[in-house]
Amino acid sequence: MAIRDDFEVVASQVRTVVQRFALGLLVIVTFGVMLVGKADTVLVEHARVLALDMVSPVLEAIARPVAYANRAIADLREFASLREENARLREENARLLAWQTAARRLENENEGLRSLARFREGPEASFITARLVGDSVSAYMRGALLNVGRRVGVAPGQAVVTGEGLAGRIAEVGENSSRVLFVTDVNSRLPVLVERTRERAILAGDNSPRLRLALLQSIAGVQTGDRIVTSGHGGSFPVGIPVGEVVETSEGTVRVRPFTDFSRLEFVRVVDYGVTGLVGTGGGTPAPSAPPAGVRVR
Amino acid sequence: MRADGTLAILDRWGRAALPGTVLLFFVLLTLAPLRAPYLSDTLPLLPVLVVFQFSLATPERLPGPLLLALGILLDLLLGGPGAPVGVSALGFVLVRAAVMANRRYLVGVPFLFQWAGFCILSWGFVALVWAFTTLWTWAPIDPVPAILQYVVVVVIYPLIAPLLARVRARDPLNVPELSRGSARPGETTS
Repeated sequence: MAIRDDFEVVASQVRTVVQRFALGLLVIVTFGVMLVGKADTVLVEHARVLALDMVSPVLEAIARPVAYANRAIADLREFASLREENARLREENARLLAWQTAARRLENENEGLRSLARFREGPEASFITARLVGDSVSAYMRGALLNVGRRVGVAPGQAVVTGEGLAGRIAEVGENSSRVLFVTDVNSRLPVLVERTRERAILAGDNSPRLRLALLQSIAGVQTGDRIVTSGHGGSFPVGIPVGEVVETSEGTVRVRPFTDFSRLEFVRVVDYGVTGLVGTGGGTPAPSAPPAGVRVR
Repeated sequence: MRADGTLAILDRWGRAALPGTVLLFFVLLTLAPLRAPYLSDTLPLLPVLVVFQFSLATPERLPGPLLLALGILLDLLLGGPGAPVGVSALGFVLVRAAVMANRRYLVGVPFLFQWAGFCILSWGFVALVWAFTTLWTWAPIDPVPAILQYVVVVVIYPLIAPLLARVRARDPLNVPELSRGSARPGETTS
């Protein structure tokens, strides 16, 4: 009996030691994981993609009812302001019809001029429509998860657009899922043009809803209300996708409000431009396609 | 000793698996595209709340290695480029250890004390994650969103914690050794 008691005492002591040691061990393991993550970014990237692929079906299952509920709430809200909304839309419709006429005329004119000048257009863009299945928003990150991946042709660096304008770019791609990094993320740097002055700049995010226009040659030329569009420099984005408009110009900083409403994104389009530029991992920029035979390019 | 009917086995398994499952659910919920303002910003901190609450009630059903795995999963799913993987795991493990070491002040005490304990520990968690992210990316990261997140999760703690606190040892004889002596069953909540 006494031996047994002694044994139990020793066993419980050992257990305590192991438990105490377990905490230290766990802490060491977490530090190890962090160090490995810092040293071997490719491995972490693979792990991320794997995790994304695993959870994206679950998330999709969650996302559908959530989207349905959100839509129901939005519908209810809209019922309340149906009349005003209708009036506003009618007015907007009239204005847009006028624009459509202008656009048609310009398109025809453009086509004529292009054929005169033998202008060669950039590669044709194709679109992949995707559903947002997950938010990737935290204090340190602005992004989302999409339910499309490598299988349908999504690649890192491709532009993600909505009806309003640019939302972000593809950062990680899994087999059936991908992560988009919004333009508002602190890691987002986007070559852009000020539409009115054609001046180049870099649009940088800082996790806040407003973007910062950086590396401008002259801030004086930028006015509140100027539209900012992608410049296509770097090769991965089409030219002229609207990004946002300047809302504030004060001592050295230009603030831009993105057109995309990130709080109610549900569907987006991934623009496959046929070129994965500098940000891509697809072995650099492929050579531009040769002009069709028989057409001489001057 | 133990009844070994199918139901009893299921019951045992269910009880053993529940905290981990709930935590996994909240880790996944972190990514759910809820469109509620403020709420969706605080989602990344809800797993901490779960870890805290279950460490109070049934720490033995939320063992360290499980926290490690789920924390790493959370970091993998949530993290942007360059963010450290494993910092949430570290935070979870430390929160659990802190709760275990201070059961005397946290178990079987009025709810307000638990809330205060959560305020302190989750503050530690937020500070830890912020510090590591800043160090790892070597960039000045605005702490305001993190602080906002913290404030919101502290405010909604009373809404969620009582629900989670229902998960606990049911029978006095079932009380695991860890909580024996420090608290009487049924005293895990206010």
